[in-house]
Amino acid sequence: MEIHFIIAATSSAVTALIAWALHRWHRASTASRQGIATQAGETALNQAQARYDAMSSAHAQQVQALESQLVELREDLLNRTELADRIRQELDDATRKHAAWEQQASRIINEAVRLKGLAATFERWHEQMTSLMTQNQDMHEKNQELSSIVRHVVIVSLNASIEAARAGTAGRGFAVVASEVRALAARSEELSRSYRDSLHRNDLTTTATFQDIQAGGKMIAASLSSVEALAYQFHNTLH
Amino acid sequence: MISARAKESVERILRKAVQTRLPISSESDCVISAMATDTPVRHTHVVVLTISSMAFRLLLVLHFSESDAMRAYYLGERTDRALQEVFLEVSNLCCGAINQALQADFPDLGMSTPYVLDARCVPHLSELDPDYLASFEIRIGESVDLIATVCVCADAPIDFVADVDSAEESSGELELF
Repeated sequence: MEIHFIIAATSSAVTALIAWALHRWHRASTASRQGIATQAGETALNQAQARYDAMSSAHAQQVQALESQLVELREDLLNRTELADRIRQELDDATRKHAAWEQQASRIINEAVRLKGLAATFERWHEQMTSLMTQNQDMHEKNQELSSIVRHVVIVSLNASIEAARAGTAGRGFAVVASEVRALAARSEELSRSYRDSLHRNDLTTTATFQDIQAGGKMIAASLSSVEALAYQFHNTLH
Repeated sequence: MISARAKESVERILRKAVQTRLPISSESDCVISAMATDTPVRHTHVVVLTISSMAFRLLLVLHFSESDAMRAYYLGERTDRALQEVFLEVSNLCCGAINQALQADFPDLGMSTPYVLDARCVPHLSELDPDYLASFEIRIGESVDLIATVCVCADAPIDFVADVDSAEESSGELELF
């Protein structure tokens, strides 16, 4: 009984011991496993922290870079806005100038067209030459008639001289008169010749002067046409 | 005021214009020779034309008579037109050729319409105080006898060399009158 008791006690003790050992082992094992897990967690945590720090630093750098970029972009925008304003201003000025040039070109065209009307004035002057020349022609004819009369007077005075000579002493006085008439006729003839000469000179200078006016008028009209054509070209390039 | 080479150029232009415009056909011989400007007037009429520029004016004076030879040459069998009318047209073409040749050196030119005067006006050309005055005897065929007088009055120095050979030969300026 005692033995049984001892055996039972021993067995219980052993069992207890085993159980305790197993418990210890289990605790140690659990503790060991927990230690390993804690260490791994710390490492991971450290690594995550490092990554976080790195990311945070990179992010801060990015934020800084973006902020400085933003400042640059704002400055750039400001510059561009100023430039756009200036260009707009210049464009407005250019548009105003363009409109002014267009107006000037139109004025030049209109002025050239208007001044071409001068040709009519030159032509009017030239027509007056015809009128003057007709008057000259009339004077030529009258002078011709005068010349014819003078020639006739010369013949008459010659006849009178002959008749006076035939009359002898009684015709002396008449001879003197006939001679005087012949002298007057000669002077008239000379005057008529000189007058004819003057008329020819007048014809030439009148014609030369009025032709110069007419040709000069055509020259001016041609020059104005060139100005008009150039102004049209300029006007068209502005469109 | 007109240089020697400018005078020589005007003469060459005139000779070319006369040679190409006064004969009615290219088959007619046209002989041109210089003559003294103070030769007594031997024709009855002259056709006067003026070319004006800003620097000078040039008068072309073509002497002619209403002779049978002239009528036969310029009118032929035609009876519907007067000699003077036809000769005015021919003279206009001749002056147009001179005008065209001068335009190479003087772009601003104008030409008058022709006018007929008594040939006794010609000695009075000196009244215009010309800087260059020259006359040329022209014989076309065997019977047509004409004289061309050129009178240039300059308001500014004139100096140019005309390139007559390369000038346009097609036509002179046709002016209506």
